[in-house]
Amino acid sequence: MKNKKFFSAEHKKYLRKTRLNRLLISLGRWSVLLFIIGLWELSAQLALIDPYITSSPSRVAKTIIAWAKDGSLWLHSWTTLYETLIAFAISIGLGSLLAILLYLFTPVRKIFEPYLVVLNSLPKIALGPLLIVWVGAGTKAIVLMGILICIIITTMSMLQSFVAIPQEKILLLKTLGANRFQVLFKLILPHAIPDFISVLKINVGMAWVGTIMGEYLVSQAGLGYLINYGGLVFNLDTVMSGIVVLCILASLMYFSVATLEHYIHKKRNL
Amino acid sequence: MNKLLEFKNVKLTYQTKKNETIALENLSFSVFEEEFVSIVGPSGCGKTTILSLIASLIKPTSGSVLLCGQPVKNKTSSMVGYMFQRDNLFDWRTVFKNVCLGLSIQHKLKSPYIEKSRSLLEKYGLKDFENYYPTQLSGGMRQRVALIRTLATDPKLLLLDEPFSAVDFQTRLLVQDDVSYIIKSERKTAILVTHDISEAVSLSDRVLILTKRPAKIKCIKSLDFNKSLTPFQRRSDPKFSKYFNEIWEELKSEE
Repeated sequence: MKNKKFFSAEHKKYLRKTRLNRLLISLGRWSVLLFIIGLWELSAQLALIDPYITSSPSRVAKTIIAWAKDGSLWLHSWTTLYETLIAFAISIGLGSLLAILLYLFTPVRKIFEPYLVVLNSLPKIALGPLLIVWVGAGTKAIVLMGILICIIITTMSMLQSFVAIPQEKILLLKTLGANRFQVLFKLILPHAIPDFISVLKINVGMAWVGTIMGEYLVSQAGLGYLINYGGLVFNLDTVMSGIVVLCILASLMYFSVATLEHYIHKKRNL
Repeated sequence: MNKLLEFKNVKLTYQTKKNETIALENLSFSVFEEEFVSIVGPSGCGKTTILSLIASLIKPTSGSVLLCGQPVKNKTSSMVGYMFQRDNLFDWRTVFKNVCLGLSIQHKLKSPYIEKSRSLLEKYGLKDFENYYPTQLSGGMRQRVALIRTLATDPKLLLLDEPFSAVDFQTRLLVQDDVSYIIKSERKTAILVTHDISEAVSLSDRVLILTKRPAKIKCIKSLDFNKSLTPFQRRSDPKFSKYFNEIWEELKSEE
């Protein structure tokens, strides 16, 4: 920005316009949130809706503050976050590794392809009862549910990304004398990083789905447990507050991945 | 002049599910050191196949391909540099790192080679762009980087597979001059595969004309231009259209 003073009036006008545009958009975003919260609260206050069924922002806030005071907020949030992060990390790591192995050994890939497709289309929640019997009703079953949901999609997406690499680039490396591991490390993996980041983004959502579903099935703590419990005892304040906390945690995780993406793009000059 | 490359009665057949295609049959020719040879022929006659054989990406069905008197194999790949239609630069590597790609694969990231790459970049006007990324360069610059990447491993023989066909016409004329100048001043031998007769005439010392499939040598034209002419200057030489027409006549009778 050293030569700012040389900008023409035209350019300054353009810059002002884009700045204004950005401001308007973020203003719009916050307005939507405030409008929804406001409408919700007002309708509850004016008894247009029954807060016993719909809860209300003030009741949610009260509930969350109460949880924070008695410490259950941290217990439940941490339990779920911990399970989600473990499921997320294991499925990303193992899923990518699996994709690499399948890519390197073409016959193995061809053999397992139909199984992957079938597993991918199977609703993993159906395996819930099996998991509980096999590994017990506890954290293990919940994490395993998260992994089951994330890992197949990770493997399939990464494999697809590997296979889509232009053949001519591989040929180039071969003419330079590269062996298949050099092809993997010099080309395939770096080329797949943008796809890897999209897989991360997809899996942030998927991992939460997995753990919350797992917690619905078996758990003594966690946000999924709270929400499920709140539903069972007809305490909608608990349900809504659980969802709000979940929303905040999930967006935090998503933004961490988005920040990582931004950092990598900047580093690779994309 | 020494023989650098020799094809002896090479035959190559492709197997597909439906049938067997004979791509090359009884193909024999030689290329001498520091020579620029172009290969032209009807489309689909197996021009690229010839380059793949030299780079030992595929093996001949029978006959032999000799490089410096030795049959080509994976080990000889460092003697050959292959340039493709697209520059295939890696977007996530800087210009300098792209140039060093072959060195890092051949475990030659040592000072004499690195200095050589640096000096190549400097000599051919890319020094200031060393730390740029490929997306920041023009098409012509990208092709020059691709050529320097090919030269960095110091191959004896350059294989050019229509490397000018993916850029627009103006850039093509400029890049042809650049590439010809670089190849001449680095004293490299080059084989160019092209379907563009004017390109073959403006760049080469000899032009091999192939028959349609299965490809054999139909005839070889030696081009006798003044050595000091650049490819672009050749285009306005009276001999240019004469050679062009002779090659065109040969090709036309093949279609």
